[in-house]
Amino acid sequence: MSAKGEIRIEKISKAFGSLLAVKDVDLSIPAGSYCCMLGPSGCGKTTLLRMIAGHETPTSGRILIGGEDVTDVPTGSRGTALMFQNYALFPHLSVLDNVAFSLKVQGQGTAQRRDQAMNMLKRVQLSHLAERVPAQLSGGQQQRVALARALVTNPQVLLLDEPLSALDEFLRLRMRSELKRLQTELGITFVHVTHTQPEAIALADQVIIMDHGVVEQSGHPREIYDQPHSPYVARFMGGQNVIFGTVGTKGKDGFAVTDEADNKYKLDSALALAKGQKVAFAVRRDGAKLASGKGRSDNAIKGEIRNIEYQGTFVKVALKTCQKDEFLVYLSDGEYFASPRKVGETVSAIWPIERNHYLEGENNSSGDPTGH
Amino acid sequence: MQSSSPKRKTSFYLLAGFFGLFILFLYGPMLSIFILSFQGVQGSMTFPLRDASTHWFGDLFTSTRYGDLGGAFRRSMIMAIAALALTAVICFFAGLAFRKRFWGSGPIFYLAIVSLVIPGLLLSFGIGQMFQLSGMPLHWMISGLGAHLSWTLPFGLLIMFAVLNRFDSSWEEAARDAGATPSQILRYVTLPILFPGLIAVALFGFTLSYDEFPRSLLTLGTRNTLPLEVANMTSSVTTPALYAIGTITTVISLVVIAVAFSAIAIVQRRRSKRMATS
Amino acid sequence: MINKDWVPYLQVAPLAILMVLFVAIPLAVLVTLSFWLSDGISLTPTFSFDNYKAVLTSFLTWKLLLATLKFAVLTWFFTLVIGFTCSYFLVFHVKNLKLQIALFLLCTIPFWTSNVIRMISWVPFLGKEGLFNSFLMMLGIIDRPLEFLLFSDFAVVLTYVHLFTLFMMVPIFNSMAKISPSVIEAAVDAGASPFMILKDIIIPLTRTGIALGSVFVVTLVMGDFFVIRVMGGGQSSNIAAAMKNNIDQLYYPDAAAMAVFLIIAVLVPIVVILRIVDVRAELAR
Repeated sequence: MSAKGEIRIEKISKAFGSLLAVKDVDLSIPAGSYCCMLGPSGCGKTTLLRMIAGHETPTSGRILIGGEDVTDVPTGSRGTALMFQNYALFPHLSVLDNVAFSLKVQGQGTAQRRDQAMNMLKRVQLSHLAERVPAQLSGGQQQRVALARALVTNPQVLLLDEPLSALDEFLRLRMRSELKRLQTELGITFVHVTHTQPEAIALADQVIIMDHGVVEQSGHPREIYDQPHSPYVARFMGGQNVIFGTVGTKGKDGFAVTDEADNKYKLDSALALAKGQKVAFAVRRDGAKLASGKGRSDNAIKGEIRNIEYQGTFVKVALKTCQKDEFLVYLSDGEYFASPRKVGETVSAIWPIERNHYLEGENNSSGDPTGH
Repeated sequence: MQSSSPKRKTSFYLLAGFFGLFILFLYGPMLSIFILSFQGVQGSMTFPLRDASTHWFGDLFTSTRYGDLGGAFRRSMIMAIAALALTAVICFFAGLAFRKRFWGSGPIFYLAIVSLVIPGLLLSFGIGQMFQLSGMPLHWMISGLGAHLSWTLPFGLLIMFAVLNRFDSSWEEAARDAGATPSQILRYVTLPILFPGLIAVALFGFTLSYDEFPRSLLTLGTRNTLPLEVANMTSSVTTPALYAIGTITTVISLVVIAVAFSAIAIVQRRRSKRMATS
Repeated sequence: MINKDWVPYLQVAPLAILMVLFVAIPLAVLVTLSFWLSDGISLTPTFSFDNYKAVLTSFLTWKLLLATLKFAVLTWFFTLVIGFTCSYFLVFHVKNLKLQIALFLLCTIPFWTSNVIRMISWVPFLGKEGLFNSFLMMLGIIDRPLEFLLFSDFAVVLTYVHLFTLFMMVPIFNSMAKISPSVIEAAVDAGASPFMILKDIIIPLTRTGIALGSVFVVTLVMGDFFVIRVMGGGQSSNIAAAMKNNIDQLYYPDAAAMAVFLIIAVLVPIVVILRIVDVRAELAR
């Protein structure tokens, strides 16, 4: 017996003509959790969401909501509600009638459904605008109307397609915390599609990161941020530097790894690596320190400072190294200003061996949210 | 730079003058036949207006010289109303269909465009011959209405395309998400949102049929519509009665246009008025 | 429940059926008929090129084609100048959007009224005792009424321009209204003269509208048989009018061959126009 809002996705694929948008995805989203699907545009996250909502039919596989197979159940009777990216508010209906719409198609009487819709509007603090039409509302107000319209049917699952993307920065942060508060209050499952990583980290109990129609990694945000599965996840989530190298001999303190510029690193001896193997590993940007460029030490990378940005609580230093990506170091401002650097200076970034996180996945995409 | 430079001002006045002359060119002749339709009994077909009267309007209804004007008017009205209804309904659904790609959508679209640009007389001739060669009698409500639809439907379709350009199909998806059935989506969402555009389609359906001349010419059979009667009168009638009938049919057209425009304005006013009540 | 894939076919079926019944089949009938023979009384179904031979070898046909093209070119020129100038005025000089729409609708209203009546309404203007002649005589510019005003090529072209300018103006207005004002401002900032802005920015960006309007006007003029007969006073003629005469005399196959000839004559300018301007590509922008 499954809980009411639990979603299970079994071997789901979706093809549009010859294009495979979603490939053989298996997923489980626990009831009452806040789940964020994250990935660049075109990664299949919206298609997956629309399949859960019933707006697209899977080419193969099953979708279960609350333990019930809903793969062939029409939209609107599977206990889900979708909030559209552009809100899709009906332009010819008042705010109140927009919210009452799903009650109207169920055949409820006018007075009853308006009462119920008004209660929902109060909940999102918009009852004073009930008689307006959507065109007269601001973006933030439209978003709340869309939310109220989706919630009025008491869905087990609320699906949100890029719900914050149309708002300006300030409103986005406010609505973000409001969404989280609402989800906690209602206790239903939220599935939220986004391409911005901070949004996912801030909101989610479970982050699902996708690329090219497959799930790259799924788990708690901290796990994904700290222990990315592949170079792609590390880059997309941010906060990490990705380093490529070749495995050398295994010593008592781990495997020796060397990169093209002969920088030397160490990876955990418990890993199953073979000599000569190409490997990738990640180092958190806030885990490294800078040392002057003279001499060589283990687990350090040499580079030339390209850019220094003061960010308030920390200072971001970008190094040009032999690696493809810039190597970024986040230093606390106290630490940085104790020994300030200059652009053009050659330095070493150095960090403890246990900071090295081996990346077992092979996806090496750039992790650019726009999909380039 | 708004009109601060004197050069811009001159060009503005020159263009405004040109535009004014164009409006005069469009409406002046029409206005003159309105005036001359009130010509006195002794008055001629040209100015000046002598002893203004409504004699020639009365003459239209009482004299037998003008043939079956009443019947022609009745038939024109029936056809125009039928064309209005059929054009609106057929183009509404066809427009919805053309949002998707389907087998045959290209040929149907091109057929509509061909019908739009082909000389009306040719199509009239073709339709007339098609009926005669297949042994079917020409009838104004069958071959005639078909010929009119060949003219109103392509226009209606193009207007539906323009209207649907601003229609967001996620409205329909949102309705489906709320549990609406296909017929509920049509009644509560698609139709009401598209309604003002549909009035425009209907206006084209009515006026294009009501004034249609070349396509009616060889397709009506034994009975005439009003434009055909009027066209015949241009060679046979040499009194201001010709202007009187012109005035009457133009006034009818103008009333229909006014009704359609007001209907669109009322619907749109209602949609934005809600602000005032809150 | 109906399979969803069938929905568009059901929705488009009435249109498709009517288009086939009242456009495709009649055109096929015309083409078929053009190969039949007639002795003026009865039709003989056969496959003969005699009608085409008669049409193509007649000197008259080519004279009529020339006349048809002459009227098309003259009308095209005047409607283009007027339609472009009026659209330009409305789009770039009337800043108030409501006024702009109101003036535009003012231009379109006559479109919804009868062409026959609009044609007739020129009679009291152009006649020997018409307003125009009286006016000129009152001013003393002329002492005898001008005869060429009514029942002449002049009257025909004037009526065409009166009837069809709208078909040129609406598409031009549409493409002009899509030009972003910032493009013009950028050109002004770059020091472009008003003439350069017109030539290098506005005209290229309104090509689609000009092309569509030209297609409408040219086909309307080439297909007309009524204005030319009434306003031409029996002096002027064109292919469509000659075809109408054939029909009136029951020479249906001859008329059908002429009809096919006319279709080709109309297609040529359309193809030329669409070659110069790729309307489909520009509409898709």
